[in-house]
Amino acid sequence: MNQGIDLKGVTKTYVRGGETLIVLDGLDLSMDAGRFYALMGPSGSGKTTLLNLVGALDSSDSGDVIVGGEDLARLDRGELSDWRAANVGFVFQGFNLIPVLSALENVSLPLALTSLSRKQRRERAAYALELVGLSDRMHHRPRQLSGGQEQRCAIARAVVTDPAFILADEPTGDLDRDSAEQVLELLRRLNKDLGKTILMVTHDPHAAESAERIVQLDKGRLLGVTDRAGAHA
Amino acid sequence: MELSRLVWRNLARRKLRTSLTVASLVVAFFLLCTLRSLVTTLQAGADSASASRLIVQSAVSLFVDLPQSYQTKIAGVEGVERMSKWQWFGGYYQETENRFAQFAVDPEETLAIYPEMQIVEGSAEAFYANRRGILIGEGLVDQYGWKLGQRVPILGELFPHPDGPEAAWEFEVAAIYRPTQRNFDSKMMLFHWDYLEESVKASSGEAPGVGTYVLKLAQGVDPTAVMARVDALFENGPQRVQATSESEFQKQFVTMFGNVPFFVSTIGGGVLIAILLAVVNTMLMAGREQTHDIGILKALGFTDGDVVQVLAQQSLLICVLGGVIGLSLAKLAEPGIAEAVGSVFGGYHVEQSTMLFGAALAVGLGVFAGFAPAWRAARLQTVDALSSKE
Repeated sequence: MNQGIDLKGVTKTYVRGGETLIVLDGLDLSMDAGRFYALMGPSGSGKTTLLNLVGALDSSDSGDVIVGGEDLARLDRGELSDWRAANVGFVFQGFNLIPVLSALENVSLPLALTSLSRKQRRERAAYALELVGLSDRMHHRPRQLSGGQEQRCAIARAVVTDPAFILADEPTGDLDRDSAEQVLELLRRLNKDLGKTILMVTHDPHAAESAERIVQLDKGRLLGVTDRAGAHA
Repeated sequence: MELSRLVWRNLARRKLRTSLTVASLVVAFFLLCTLRSLVTTLQAGADSASASRLIVQSAVSLFVDLPQSYQTKIAGVEGVERMSKWQWFGGYYQETENRFAQFAVDPEETLAIYPEMQIVEGSAEAFYANRRGILIGEGLVDQYGWKLGQRVPILGELFPHPDGPEAAWEFEVAAIYRPTQRNFDSKMMLFHWDYLEESVKASSGEAPGVGTYVLKLAQGVDPTAVMARVDALFENGPQRVQATSESEFQKQFVTMFGNVPFFVSTIGGGVLIAILLAVVNTMLMAGREQTHDIGILKALGFTDGDVVQVLAQQSLLICVLGGVIGLSLAKLAEPGIAEAVGSVFGGYHVEQSTMLFGAALAVGLGVFAGFAPAWRAARLQTVDALSSKE
């Protein structure tokens, strides 16, 4: 079995204003472990929904979502929380840092779910912040950081527990060009140097070039998977 | 632990709101503790009343006097060992604010009936010998600085001085007592019945009536039987009497203006409900504001139980903090309140059971107030919480 991401016949619908919207329509998709994928498509194509399903933030109506060899439909709420804590790091467009905590506290937050001591958690969080170049900002609150710094802090938080999967939803959407480039470079390094499987939702073709594979979605269906050169993969 | 830090930081997120909520809890717990202490003080007073003492008053009202001629008849009732006349004098010292309990009594009988009055300065003999002598409690010494031998002018309102209402009755401190029981009034002034009678007779030509007769029963006598005998004695007039136990009399005296324990408990209950609603409202607002953060925690892998803990702890901390400060203030204010309400609630005291009751209430309130937001947070879908704009 592929220890990456396997989706088989995945369907997801939402009911809005009495109307049923099909967001993912019997999607079949397989993504290898250790690769960097960009997920592209027009608005409403189901990119974020797919990311939420893979990250166990949401559940499908039908079909199988198997991530890292785990069939997520078989896990209850508590088990999904544990699985998420151990296997997934999220990077969101809006950064999603907790405003009342410092950068260091935000990064060490997921480590509270591990058996590490307080000292070890601090050391590891400080190291993660050092990796993303924020050593000198670790005691700053999110509002005292620039957008790029906040996103790098969020990346540090995503990797601090050493998860196999990094799921990024428009991570450069709110950033200027230079900051966006720094974030993309970080994601590339996480993939290349640490072997993380990265699934990144983006509208930006330039950002998508950082990925090894580009998954195209439209109206909840898979249009195709290509490599950077545009060849079908 | 990061979650504990998050709890504290969330409380500090809206400093003014948190401070106001804690302040309202402080006021509520102070009031609750004080009001409950008034009730327990009343109860303790009644409980500590002697079972061997009876009070005889008019069956019509405490404000209707009894004839002095009853004394001989009551003294002859089987089981009555000693008895004293008591009359409320109703005067004040220098200023109208300086009111305290003054009674005209039969000195020797009274000291024999009330062993709770331990004379610590002067002597019983000096009190008996001096017709204008008074026996005062240490509470009055503390309040007015009176000393042994000092002349004390009291302006009588119920019993104006024979020389006119502007003239003061002259008394002299002959002895000072210390109550041996906490609930015994330490601010009484007792003086000679004969002095009152002579003066009243001199001005009006009539002997004063008796407010109450206090009876000391012989050992082993059934109080109920004596009460029935005394009541029966005057069943056909000229004025009917009501004999009650001292405990019952004290309860009746305090509840003359209504059911005090019920009244006080109702106010306390009202305060509690009002504060409960305020705290629930605060916690619901806090919970809504933290919806997005809850989504983040859940996305990071924290369970529903973890987020329940974060919100419940905030509620608990606010309530416990408010409770601890409020209860501590009530305890600190104990001497001041005892001083202020001593004439009605003699021996006012904040009991340990009241402190424990308050502490349990603070915890219960915290759990209850945190329940609604915590329940909501637990049920939130991670995706919905993350997309929340609150």
